[in-house]
Amino acid sequence: MFELKYNMLIAEETLVIQLKHKDHQSKAFEVLVNTYKERLYWHIRRIVLNHEDTDDVVQNTFIKVFRNIDGFKGDSKLYSWMYRIATNEALSFLKSKSQKLKVSNEQLYNKTVADLRADVYFEGDEFQLKLQSAIATLPEKQKLIFNMKYFQELKYEEISEILETSVGGLKASYHLASKKIEAFLKEN
Amino acid sequence: MNKINKNNSFKVPDGYFDTLSGNIMDKIHKEKSTMSTSPGFKVPEGYFENLNTDIFQKLENEPVETKIISLKSYKKHFYAVASIAAVVLLFIAIQFNGSKAISYSDLANSDIEQYFEFNDMELSSYDLAEILPLNELDLNDILENRLDNDNIIDYLNSHVEDFEELNLNNDE
Repeated sequence: MFELKYNMLIAEETLVIQLKHKDHQSKAFEVLVNTYKERLYWHIRRIVLNHEDTDDVVQNTFIKVFRNIDGFKGDSKLYSWMYRIATNEALSFLKSKSQKLKVSNEQLYNKTVADLRADVYFEGDEFQLKLQSAIATLPEKQKLIFNMKYFQELKYEEISEILETSVGGLKASYHLASKKIEAFLKEN
Repeated sequence: MNKINKNNSFKVPDGYFDTLSGNIMDKIHKEKSTMSTSPGFKVPEGYFENLNTDIFQKLENEPVETKIISLKSYKKHFYAVASIAAVVLLFIAIQFNGSKAISYSDLANSDIEQYFEFNDMELSSYDLAEILPLNELDLNDILENRLDNDNIIDYLNSHVEDFEELNLNNDE
């Protein structure tokens, strides 16, 4: 297990070197996209909920990664850095959309959840819809943490690197979020 | 006792084990995709296969920010000209103020003190000994916190056992 993780680190380091080298950048970027596109897509989808918006955000995320790869210092893992960019892009997207529509972030999110019922790319049953409504009641950071822990099953240490929050803080947030969701589901 | 081959009655299709790992990996991959989505969320058919192309196309179409280096760098010359003009003006102003030579008496004492305070003179202790008049020095000139005589006496009371050792003589 250690050897696998060690090999992955070596592979990541090599990929970063190639990404910063003009001659190898294109090929390396292709590898990067292939490796992370699904993970990043689903991470973003959990934040913005519908496919069309996720498609926009995931593409913008990779473009931002490509444009800023020279600034990546290696003080965190490459995927943590990319996840962070994806998170910020998704949240900025939502903020910008709510400003354009002249509604609050909360109102926009609730509307998007309500639209899931008619969304052709959402096949969840009533319980799944209710769960999404419950998640909509959480503050932004708790939403993020809950999604990353419950749906994406990331380790606390991984989430800590992405969100730059302590593991203790994350555990507390997740615990609170779970309790709120539980209460919401019981009442509704 | 002969070892019985447990599997000698059972057969497998030709090439089964060659394709087995590939099939397993495909299934794991599919499961992982649905796991990370969790039930409910779907993507259009073939979305991820086309995503690479979309991203690369977007990258090519994005306007690249190029640094524009103007051939006539007015800014560079502007600063040079401005500084020369400032020096010339200063020179003229000094001339107009008269030809009186500046001596040490023109410097305020506060200016001199400030100079010494903010410039690192790197004086050695020998330099200091030459410059500082010892008979005019007081302990409180060196210490940061002024010492009251009472504090000195209290200290001596508590720390000195034999006052004779101190050799304090008011006559001297």
